[in-house]
Amino acid sequence: MDWVGWGLAALGFALLFGQYLAAQADTFVSIANPRPLDEESMTVTMRWWGLAAESHQPFVTPESDHGLCDVRVYITRKQVLTAIATFGAVRPVTVAWRAHAGILPLGDA
Amino acid sequence: MPLVRLGEPGPWTNYHGTGVCEDATRHALRSGYATRGRDELAAAASDVRQWLAAAQAAGKRVRPLGAGWSPSNVNICSGAWLLHTRRFNRCFRIADSDVRPGVDSAGLLLIEAGALVDEVSDKLEEQGRSLWTSGAGNGQTFAGAAATGTHGSMVARGGIQDHIRAVQIVTPSGIHWIEPAAGLMNDAFVAATGSIALRDDDLFAAVQLPVGALGIVTALVIDSVPKFLVRPIQNLRKVDCATLDWLSAGNFRRFSAAYALDREPDFVQMIVNPFKPFKRPAMLRFLYREEWRPDYPRATPGQMGAGYDALSLLGKLLDDYPWARGALLQFAMKQGYAAGPDVDDPPVYGTWGEGLDTHRPLADLFNASVTIDRGELARVFELICAVYTRHGGSTAVTIRFMERAEGLLAPARFEHNAVIDFDGPRSQRTADAYARVVELLDREGVAFTRHWAKSCSLDAARIAGDYGDDLTRWRAARDRLLPDPAHRALFGSPVLDGLGLTV
Repeated sequence: MDWVGWGLAALGFALLFGQYLAAQADTFVSIANPRPLDEESMTVTMRWWGLAAESHQPFVTPESDHGLCDVRVYITRKQVLTAIATFGAVRPVTVAWRAHAGILPLGDA
Repeated sequence: MPLVRLGEPGPWTNYHGTGVCEDATRHALRSGYATRGRDELAAAASDVRQWLAAAQAAGKRVRPLGAGWSPSNVNICSGAWLLHTRRFNRCFRIADSDVRPGVDSAGLLLIEAGALVDEVSDKLEEQGRSLWTSGAGNGQTFAGAAATGTHGSMVARGGIQDHIRAVQIVTPSGIHWIEPAAGLMNDAFVAATGSIALRDDDLFAAVQLPVGALGIVTALVIDSVPKFLVRPIQNLRKVDCATLDWLSAGNFRRFSAAYALDREPDFVQMIVNPFKPFKRPAMLRFLYREEWRPDYPRATPGQMGAGYDALSLLGKLLDDYPWARGALLQFAMKQGYAAGPDVDDPPVYGTWGEGLDTHRPLADLFNASVTIDRGELARVFELICAVYTRHGGSTAVTIRFMERAEGLLAPARFEHNAVIDFDGPRSQRTADAYARVVELLDREGVAFTRHWAKSCSLDAARIAGDYGDDLTRWRAARDRLLPDPAHRALFGSPVLDGLGLTV
């Protein structure tokens, strides 16, 4: 029966390692014709498997009165390891965005 | 109040991630809603001048920041006050009543310093006009691209700064409106912008390409041409090394006939794999200019072959697997650049602006270049590729062509120029290999210059030798504009100081 146990352990490890790799992928949403300002980012931490998901930081973007050009959501290697080590109870995510500089109509000099 | 402070002091990283300003205090210049552009400029320039005085009083240096694209770190200065101009981005038509007698205002556009190349293209196209050249990307501010001599590969044109006809620049001692001696805008217009007119050819040629060292550029007047269409052809072809002779001689028609259309091309670019550049297919891009017509079949930037400037997707593979660099590079070129329309594909068309795109760096970027006399290309190109790959260079090598560009410090200073770019993932090995290319050109006695915005490891002695009398004239113009050494130092950064441009 030992090999069954080792097999299950190997399967569990492979599942976990797959999650570790996949979690580091970026999710990127952009408008078609960006006119971006500098990139800003913040870390949002999900706690207790989403039961206390509300961020303690207000998610307010500076300089965004003309909207956002793009938003990127990703998890760094360190953040994945944190999530794994805490059995998912603490799951930090980085959200990065670039605000839009605005498009103003052509004027007269 | 057009000028506002952004947040608390902290680090600022440039677009390509090549440099960080630690403890930077960030400010932003914003467009207002004034009815006339001249009123906007007067208010903004006045605010900038006060801001400069405040920075000087606080013992801080200042750096203007456009899109922050320059990987050369000319703008990196820790502890400095940074002025972001991206939201100062309005564009204005110029009327006949704004210019001096005899000046045709039809092609002129007044742009604020934060307007992107993309925005300027859009505004010109709204008026049936177009830029005649630009860099491969359109995400730089026009002022920033001009400040470093950005260029494309329009074979009969110079750099993007050639469009400039007048510059408003702010220093602690004043707000200056600089034009060539022949003049452009009338005195009433210049006065309404809050500026003092300086009409002088050398000053103008200096501020066309200021490398960010002559003050804060707040506005430009640029020229344009009637809107036109371009037909792109982009393909992968094995190129015969004998064709270097044709390119060296400027026989672009023959090159085009061999690999694309039997027509005179307006734009020619060749990206080669430096590992066996003439045994592996090269990525060729041609543009053929045609008269504007409104009923052309629209194409997306991707279908136009936009985004041709860097091999951003190579990542670190090339560095991790040096034994496979040649094959990996070829794979990436094929994947990344084969999408353009070939000769037998249905033709697509677009305006100059529609053929450009804003790339998003996905890997740490290395980019460097050498600009040589086009006549030397056939003699040294294969030597360059051999030295570069032998010493670990892991990027594609691109050849572009352009004529002599305007501006005293324009790197394209030969009558006919071939620009050889090394663009790809950053690694120390690649940087070292590029340094060996520089040594090779010195050994071979080939005169060359390097791009101000790229990672070219310039130094003061080298610049003095490269630009000679033109650098002396640029410095004389600088000293007239900034006679106080403390004011020159205000606009410095470690890189600019090292180049001797601000000390």
